[in-house]
Amino acid sequence: MSTAPFPDRARIDAFDKVRGATEYAADIQFPGLLYAMTVTARIAKGTMTELSTDAAMRVPGVVRVLTPDDFPPPPPTGGEDGPPPPPPTLEKTIAYRGQPVAVVVAETLEAAIAGAEAVRPSFADEQFSSRIDSAGAESESTEDWTAGDAAAAMAGAAVTIEATYESPTQHHNPIELLVTTAVWADGRLTIHECSQGVNVTKGSVAGALHLDPALIDVKSAYIGGGFGQKGLAQRQTALVAHAAMLTGRPVKLVLPRGQIFHVATYRPNSRHRIQLGADATGKMVAARYHAEHEQSRTGFFSPAEYHESPIRMYGIENYLGTAANIRIDRQAPGYMRAPHPQASCFAFESAVDELAYKLDRDPVAFRIENDTKVDPKTGHPLSSRFLNECLTEGARRFGWSRRSAAPGSMTASDGTQIGWGVAAGCYPSMMPPAIATLRIGANGSTRFATSGHEMGQGIRTAIAAVLLDGLDINTDKLDIVIGDTTAAPQHMTAGSWGTAGAVPVAAKAVERMRAAVSELLAGRTVAGNLHRQLASVRRPYIEIEVSQVGAGQNNDALAQLREGGFVVAGPEFPEFTTMSYIAHFVEVHVEPHTRRIRMPRVVSIADCGRVISPRTAASQVRGGVVWAFSAALREATEIDRRYGGYLNNDLADYVVAVNADIGEIEVGFVDQPDPLANSMGLKGLGEVAMVGASPAIANAIFHATGKRMRELPIRIEHLL
Amino acid sequence: MQPFTYTRPTTAPDAVSAFASAGADARYIAGGTTLYDLMKLNIEQPRHLVDITAIAGLDKIETDGDRLRFEALAPMNAVAANDVIIRDYPVLAEALSKAASQQLRNMARVGGNLLQRTRCMYFRNGADGVYPCNKREPGSGCAALRGLDRGQAVFGTSDACTAVSPGDFPVALVAMDAQLEILGPSGSRTLPIGDLYRLPGDTPHLEFTLAPGEMITAIVVPKTPAGRGSTYHKIRDRESYAFALASAAVALEMDGDQVSRAHIALGGVATKPWRAPEAEQKLAGQRLTPEVALDAGRAAFSGASPGKHNGFKVELGARTVADALLIAAERSRS
Repeated sequence: MSTAPFPDRARIDAFDKVRGATEYAADIQFPGLLYAMTVTARIAKGTMTELSTDAAMRVPGVVRVLTPDDFPPPPPTGGEDGPPPPPPTLEKTIAYRGQPVAVVVAETLEAAIAGAEAVRPSFADEQFSSRIDSAGAESESTEDWTAGDAAAAMAGAAVTIEATYESPTQHHNPIELLVTTAVWADGRLTIHECSQGVNVTKGSVAGALHLDPALIDVKSAYIGGGFGQKGLAQRQTALVAHAAMLTGRPVKLVLPRGQIFHVATYRPNSRHRIQLGADATGKMVAARYHAEHEQSRTGFFSPAEYHESPIRMYGIENYLGTAANIRIDRQAPGYMRAPHPQASCFAFESAVDELAYKLDRDPVAFRIENDTKVDPKTGHPLSSRFLNECLTEGARRFGWSRRSAAPGSMTASDGTQIGWGVAAGCYPSMMPPAIATLRIGANGSTRFATSGHEMGQGIRTAIAAVLLDGLDINTDKLDIVIGDTTAAPQHMTAGSWGTAGAVPVAAKAVERMRAAVSELLAGRTVAGNLHRQLASVRRPYIEIEVSQVGAGQNNDALAQLREGGFVVAGPEFPEFTTMSYIAHFVEVHVEPHTRRIRMPRVVSIADCGRVISPRTAASQVRGGVVWAFSAALREATEIDRRYGGYLNNDLADYVVAVNADIGEIEVGFVDQPDPLANSMGLKGLGEVAMVGASPAIANAIFHATGKRMRELPIRIEHLL
Repeated sequence: MQPFTYTRPTTAPDAVSAFASAGADARYIAGGTTLYDLMKLNIEQPRHLVDITAIAGLDKIETDGDRLRFEALAPMNAVAANDVIIRDYPVLAEALSKAASQQLRNMARVGGNLLQRTRCMYFRNGADGVYPCNKREPGSGCAALRGLDRGQAVFGTSDACTAVSPGDFPVALVAMDAQLEILGPSGSRTLPIGDLYRLPGDTPHLEFTLAPGEMITAIVVPKTPAGRGSTYHKIRDRESYAFALASAAVALEMDGDQVSRAHIALGGVATKPWRAPEAEQKLAGQRLTPEVALDAGRAAFSGASPGKHNGFKVELGARTVADALLIAAERSRS
């Protein structure tokens, strides 16, 4: 494996993006396109008793109104191990406020909206539970995550702390709305959608509409922000597909943001009770941790996974992690960037900070001394772990040694309280199988097709880095085709495994192509780049196909990939565990009177194995820190328990961080290849970038003010 | 959104006539940054729009003589960027530049900005009938009263409504004793800006004292030496594009270290732009120390009546006034 650092390279799609030339799902046009708008339930639970569509059909331009009667019954739900069932289509049973109950299809968007407003549903409502602590909420325990004997070790600990932390309901708000366009033509259904899993879209639509998946193509060339919202089947997809099939015309639906709040997945409100114990030398010896979160009546997003990062943060040999779903009458929560560790590492890394203070230890040194080379959960070695390097380098760049340890001891002349905080994070590094084709043409073109989705994270730029590093080809006619079920077998891109899925297979394709060209030239020396060489020997093109699987996987994984399955290797590989790591150092300023919290600077150092695309990798980390700031100090979805649903369901009232909120973010990488994770030595980055930054902020606020903030978001009123 | 007619007269009298002949459910529209938004939410349902943006010469910004005069169609950004306003009346420039976003300020006009409707989430949500709102549907009740009231008012509330008056610029204008020039079916008149706004009382759907068909044509601010010693201090949940949790428009006439006259108005905390005479009186003749400033802030909020989640606005508001006074005093010295 080469370990030379990759050079900085601009995003290959940057120029198109800033010119607005990039075509997103909502931009795609078709002749004869119809526009759809959904009608939603205004009760939180019950039954739709009547649906009058007459007035809607009288709106000029309305073509059709789809109701529950237009859809086949939902398919049987799969077994415990299968993929989650597709979301229901339209049903009369109402499980949450905002659930779609009808779809109006019209010649114009305006007519579709007017038609949707004219649909008159009637409902019989029932008692409902809208919050985690509402009457009727049902607690359901899930499996434990354990290592050693936490009870015994805690009993023997010299120093312990115990505290409860809470993270609020938070909603995805990428600028791109949820979009589906469906075309039914010549017996094939083609879906254009902002999807992180075109294979998932394909399978779920086939299941919901009882179609042969072989008749369905799904394309998602560019996504305006994924973050997990677009990985699983989306609520609207089958509705739009069915509308296209019933009308025989292309149909587009762009869900309004207010509706997206009510139907898409979100980060659930969660509570985390943590007890930590250390021995007399300051080594953490025991952790007991119970996590619970709000959950729909039928949802599957597991609270047990809150433990996946904390159990591996340090060498705590005795860990008891318990978890529960609290089932209520809302739509299902789901994956949202750093889905579990955003909340669980806020809790855990705050608790570690509390324990370090109680032990009178420096929080950086305390973490360094609790390092591990072993995964406590499995007992297997960690394939690589450079968290201490992240902490050491971060402390150096931040100037940590100049920190005055006592809370409230760093105050500016105007009374502004200054706080320096640290926290770390880890996240599983995983890998899906991949199949790729690479074709280089004598006409100057190169086409690389594989599994993957471009959500803005820069996966095309990372692929290009490898192709251009290993092949002398034109940069301006390089076509990287991903997110397209017609181009290559597709796997969901999520969990930070996109680069691990696409880049090693690209490197393999480079090797195979070089060998193929060498064989073609048979020792002749031919001038020019690969395109010129092919032209010189009168070969129109060379195309090769390669595949790759993760450690411990075999050809079965490739077969599952071809069938559109979910087949990810790691982080628990057969003989080792692979995690990515990060350390964040944060400075906060708390105003003396009005108590606004500012974050003038951050230093974040990540261990994501070998860095393939330095520029987009650094952007990932900055984006993660920005969102962690937003999650810690800004974002909370407002739910009035008397009504259910979401009150602040727009970008004005759901307060996300703005540019003016964000100070300087310095990003660094250890850039050491993981020897076992994959052939390129890379590990995932997109999620770990965010993990630990929220607790670093809360720890900095404690250092500034002496007030321990255990509930997010932290707002002015909490520090007055 | 229901269909509506649309006319675009080119003179102010023609606009008034067009409004009168349109009958009920007509609205003037200028920048459209509030009205179109509320129409898409089905909260405003006009049947006729009279677009006044084609009226020539109604966007002048005058700073000569003994008053400032902003005509109704001057964009918010144009007033905020005016050199004289920035130098001599920072309270006005800041109230404008800390509002909304650059894009919205490019579109929104100062006349229409005075008539912006509340951001109460219960008001803006649920035109589908989920959340009762007396402002949206008189007599239906107020979901905010026993609901999520973190953002609601602590002054001027009633049993029918606690919605905050959202604007920044109106707060600054109230502090500076602005007058409005108004044109309507029965001619023109002037109105102190403080008299434009109604308390919710039993009729929270009635927000302004304009008669049907009347439009604001200009804002007049008397010049005062207090302008230089002024600020609009706005505390919000993020550093741009957010409405105030608490804000203070403050202008000070100083005699050395002593306050000879204070202008103070509060935003983000009241059902209309809220003048704070108790605090103004408390300051007169005082040497402005941090303690005196905080006492004045506390005096400004002595009559507050918070709800369940917005009690912090009382302390935050008092501190905001205090900080604003110290900023204004510093400016008055430079």
